[in-house]
Amino acid sequence: MNVMITGAAGGLGRAMACECGRRGYDLFLTDINDKGLAPLKTGLERQFGVNVTTLASNLTSPASLDSLMAEVDRRGILFDMLLNVAGVDDEGAFVEMDREKVVGIAAINDVATLRITHSVLQRRRPGSKFAIVFVSSMASQFPIPLKATYAASKRFLLDFAEALHAELKPSGVNVLALCPGGMATKDSVIKAIEVQGLGGAVTTNHMELLTRRTIDRVLKGKTVYIPGAWNRTFAFFGKIVPRRVIASYLYKRWDKAQAKWLKG
Amino acid sequence: MKTIVITGATSGIGLETARLFAAAGYRVLAVGHSTANCEKANSDIKSTCPEAMLAWFAEDLMQQREVERVAGEIKAFLAKEGVESLYALINNAGCARSWYMTTEDGYEQQFALNHLAGFKLTCELLPYLLKEGGRVIMTSSESHTGIKVHWNDVMLRRRYNPLTAYKQSKLCNLLFAKGLNDRYASAGLHAYGVDPGLVKTDIGNKTAGIVDIFWKFRKRHGVSPTIPAKNYLFICEQPEPPQWLYWYLCREQKYSRQVTSENATRLFELSEKLCGISYK
Repeated sequence: MNVMITGAAGGLGRAMACECGRRGYDLFLTDINDKGLAPLKTGLERQFGVNVTTLASNLTSPASLDSLMAEVDRRGILFDMLLNVAGVDDEGAFVEMDREKVVGIAAINDVATLRITHSVLQRRRPGSKFAIVFVSSMASQFPIPLKATYAASKRFLLDFAEALHAELKPSGVNVLALCPGGMATKDSVIKAIEVQGLGGAVTTNHMELLTRRTIDRVLKGKTVYIPGAWNRTFAFFGKIVPRRVIASYLYKRWDKAQAKWLKG
Repeated sequence: MKTIVITGATSGIGLETARLFAAAGYRVLAVGHSTANCEKANSDIKSTCPEAMLAWFAEDLMQQREVERVAGEIKAFLAKEGVESLYALINNAGCARSWYMTTEDGYEQQFALNHLAGFKLTCELLPYLLKEGGRVIMTSSESHTGIKVHWNDVMLRRRYNPLTAYKQSKLCNLLFAKGLNDRYASAGLHAYGVDPGLVKTDIGNKTAGIVDIFWKFRKRHGVSPTIPAKNYLFICEQPEPPQWLYWYLCREQKYSRQVTSENATRLFELSEKLCGISYK
């Protein structure tokens, strides 16, 4: 089993790599952060004895993707699975945000993901099944003012994954959209979870479970995975309450919180 | 003058222990997480003990390559100062987590910092410690009891319980000490585990939810870190190296029946593989 993971040097990507290593899969890891790839390769090889190939790339650049794929072809690697983890998060009032930063959210989360998915599908192992995971987000479930671009970029992945699932099912490809809530990936995120109190703690996903279940589910042919009972409850409300109402509620809530924060 | 190395020296038990050793006339090579923490701890110790001989090294010992880097920096420092041996190494740096989190090597963080960092640093500094019949002390804990090492899933990926991971890492500290004694006691090197007891420190501050409540509750009845600090100095001040493995308040303490030579050997084999080193 050969697995390509993008964004592999970060929190979720690294946990995914560990889960695949535990299953004995061979890995091709890429990330824009080339410093993080070497220690991960060594660590995975020491823990699981699997073959790990790494190459840094900037997936928003077609040239960088080409050289990544050239390396794949030079090694004659054919894939059985693609985990699209690479992505960015940002928030703020749309008009006040830096223009290139806003555009970058869509460029990385969506455009780059399309580009690598398209090119890895050309390098499928013939005659066997294939699996693709798109890391969407709980944010894909609602329109989120002040996080509009991010939420929409994740919605794009969810819709795209669901459509692609139907389109590629006959040719033996399983496509899954993963919609996680918060995850304890770094200290700053943990602080944010702590600030939210118990609500933050219960909606936080456990990465060791989430990664295992994501791979289980995509192999079984599921389309969407929302981990955690609380997250599924929120997603349910997201479906029955009119989207316009949700958007204005979220905006008011955020506005109040911000006013309080500015005062305090 | 005797030289010692202590990790996690910028706060809590490590800071007070470093202060105590410096005041007792040792040269202290102290390792902290960041340069800012090191500078703060340095002026803190200097304010109570102006004659302290201190050198600081800032690395994140959770990451394997930073353990290698700090070992290199310490060796370079010793060479520059013309010091050929180390009297003691105190593997004190530790953390508590609420969730399964990985280091850049893809290792579970509590296991990586609380156990693997000390395991690797000790191996790197072993030639210096053997020269002086040195003493290696681990900050273990009474929480090492009532648990076995999960040999088939040492990173606890099946179902991560953060407190289990903490307890296991503290059991590993004692197993490591036991294994060191098995291998090097005849060469004059001795290893110990100290139970600091309940202490008011910063540990557990980066947790949330139930684990956060647990640590806050635990620390409420805690003592000042100056109390366990005495235990480390006590072990080092004995003219003949004490033969007992596990200590609490400068007294010999009973430890878990899991601390056997067989388990220690198993831990050595696993940790050598994960650190890419060999104790021989």
